Amino acid sequence: MSAPAAHASLVLKNVGKRFGGLRAVHDVSLVVRAGTIFGLIGPNGAGKTTLFNLVTGVYPCDTGTIELAGKDLTRLAPAQIAAAGVARTFQNIRLFGQLSVLENLLVAGEAASGEDGAPKRSGIRTALFRGRVAQATEERTRARGEELLRVFDLHDASDAAPLSLSYGNQRRLEIARAMMLSPKLLLLDEPAAGMNYGEAAGLETQIRWLRDTFKLTVVLVEHNMQVVMGASDEIHVLDRGETLAHGTPDEVRKDAKVLAAYLGEETA
Amino acid sequence: MSGRRPSGDVGVVAAVVLVALVLDFGLDRLVPYSSLRQLILLAFCNIVIAVSLNAINGVAGQFSIGHAGFVGIGAYTAAIVATHLHDALGRGDPTFARSFVVVPLSVLAAACFAGVFGVLVGLPSLRLKGDYLAIVTLGFAEMFRLVVATAKLGEPETIGHAFAQIGGAHGVLGPMVHTLSVMVTSLGGQNGYAGSDNLGVPAYAGPFWVIGGAAVVVMIALRLKFSGWGRAVRALREDEIAAAAVGVDPTRYKVSSFVIAAAGGGVAGALLALMRDGTPIVQPDSFGFQASFDAITMVILGGSGSVSGAALGGLFVTFTVKAIEEAQSAGIVLELRERFEWLDLNALRMILYAAVLIALMIARPSGLLGESELFSIGAKRRRMAAPAHP
Repeated sequence: MSAPAAHASLVLKNVGKRFGGLRAVHDVSLVVRAGTIFGLIGPNGAGKTTLFNLVTGVYPCDTGTIELAGKDLTRLAPAQIAAAGVARTFQNIRLFGQLSVLENLLVAGEAASGEDGAPKRSGIRTALFRGRVAQATEERTRARGEELLRVFDLHDASDAAPLSLSYGNQRRLEIARAMMLSPKLLLLDEPAAGMNYGEAAGLETQIRWLRDTFKLTVVLVEHNMQVVMGASDEIHVLDRGETLAHGTPDEVRKDAKVLAAYLGEETA
Repeated sequence: MSGRRPSGDVGVVAAVVLVALVLDFGLDRLVPYSSLRQLILLAFCNIVIAVSLNAINGVAGQFSIGHAGFVGIGAYTAAIVATHLHDALGRGDPTFARSFVVVPLSVLAAACFAGVFGVLVGLPSLRLKGDYLAIVTLGFAEMFRLVVATAKLGEPETIGHAFAQIGGAHGVLGPMVHTLSVMVTSLGGQNGYAGSDNLGVPAYAGPFWVIGGAAVVVMIALRLKFSGWGRAVRALREDEIAAAAVGVDPTRYKVSSFVIAAAGGGVAGALLALMRDGTPIVQPDSFGFQASFDAITMVILGGSGSVSGAALGGLFVTFTVKAIEEAQSAGIVLELRERFEWLDLNALRMILYAAVLIALMIARPSGLLGESELFSIGAKRRRMAAPAHP
C-alpha cells in the first residue's frame, strides 16, 4: 500500500439521515486520510450513495458533522462544497447534454477560477463588459480545459456533443469535469458500472494514477470487488446505513461479519 | 489563438444605430403609410420581447408564460416617466433632441421596475419547476393586468380603492401601500393611461430608439449567452444537481436569469409605449395571456435558446399576423365574404395562423435555428480558440 499521509482530509462524525421511516445512514463516523484511496462498500441499500449526497450537500444531514481539512461543510450548499474542493462523479453519468465537451469543463471552471484571488467571472457585469481581467481569466480557464481534455485523451472531441461519446469516454469526461474544480477530494460513485471486464480491469491503475497526478484524496464506492480491493488503501463497510467494519483490504476480506453479511456470496 | 474580436459586435451595433439614425428622419418619406411604419417599429419591439423571453425560456430553460406582465409593467412605467418629463420640458412636440433625455430615462426606469418584479417571480423558481412555475408566472401577469384594469379611484368595490383608503395609517408599510394604490388608481383602469390631461403618451421613440434599442438588446443577449454566466445557466438547465456539484449556485443564476428577462421585457414595453406611429394609450388588455402566448410562439418558432432565432421569430410572428389581417381586405376575400355571408373571417384568420405554425413546427421541430445562432458566433469562437489541426 502506498504511504499514508498523516493528516485527515475528510472527517465524518456521527452522521445520520432519515427518509421518513427509513434510516438511510445512521451514526456513521469515519476519517479519510489525505492522499489515500478510501473504499466504501456494502450491499445494495447500505447507504453509500446517500453518504456521498450528504458529503456533497445534496441532502442536509439530520445529525453529525462533516469536515474537509478542518473546514466545516455540514451546513453548506452543494455549490459552496464544490468550491471548497469536493468534486464527484455520479452513479449514472450526469453530463450537460446540450453543451459541448469543452463547455462541460468550462462550467466547472467558473467555481475554480475564484481560487487564486482572481474575481469570479460568471457575473452579468463581466459578461456584458468583458473587461481585460475577465477575458484573461476566460482565456486561462479555456486553456486549462483544453489541457485537461488532452490529459484525458478527449481533445479531438472538444466540440462534440457529450452524448455522442462512447460510454467509457463519457465517464472520463465526467472525471475531467470534476478535475476542473482543482479538488482536494474526489468522490467516485461506481466508476466501473456499465464497463466491460477489460475496461474494469484497468480501472484500479487509473484511479491510482488519478490520485497521484492530481494530488487527490479519493473516496470510492464500487461493487466490483476486484477494483475496490485492488485500489483502496482502506475500506469502510456499510450495512443498512451503519458501519459494519473498517480496515485494510486484507483485514476486511477476513472479517467474519463482513463475510457473513456481504462478501460470502460475492467472492469467487 | 487570441484572434477573437471583442469589439466585433460593437461595430455591428454601431452600424445598425447609424442606419436607425438615418431612418429616424427618413422613414416618413421612405414609407408614407403610417400603419406600415407602425408595423415595422412593432416588429422591432417584438424582437426585444422575444429575445428577452428567450433568456428565461430558452437559455435558462424555465417555462415562463407570463412575459406580457413584465412588458406591461415596463410600458406603464415608461409612459408615466415620459409623460412627467414631457410636462417638465414644457410639452410641445416631442423633438429628437429632447428624446435623448426622455427615452433613456424612461427605458431605464422601465427596465429597473420590471427587474424588481423579476426578482419576485424568480424566487418561486427555486422551488418550482416546469408546469408549476409556468402557472406562477401566468398568475403574476394576470394579477398585474387585473389590478391595473380594475383600479379606479372613487369606485369603492375595487381593490385599488380599498387599499388607498386603508393605507396611510400606521407603520412603514401603510404609507407605502397607500402611495402605491393611489398610483395604481391613477393609471386609468380599463381605459388605459393616456398621459396628462389625456393628451396621449408622448411618442418620443422614433426608429432611432426602437431599432437601435433592439440592436443593443440583441447584442446584450448574445454576450450573455456566450459568457460564463450563459454557460452556467445552460448547465443548470441541463442538470441542476450536476451543475451544483461543479460549483454553480442555482439560486443566483435562476433569479438573475429571471431578472434579466424581466428587465428586457420592461425595455420592450417602454419602446411600445413611447413608439412613434403607435397608439398613444397604454391599455391593460394589450398585456393579456394572448400577448404572453405570442411571445412564446416567437421563441419556439425561432428555436428555443437561440438569440437570433428569437429575433427572427419576433419578425415572423409580427408580419405573418399582419399579412393574414391584410389578406382579409383583399378583393378575393371580400368577394368570398359577399357570396357566403355565414363565413367567419376572424375564425378563418386563426385557422390560417395555426396552420402556418403547425406546418413550420413539422418542417423544423426544434424551431428555425434550434439552439444555434444565425452567424454561428459560438462555433467560430470555439474554432478560433482551438489550435489549428493539420
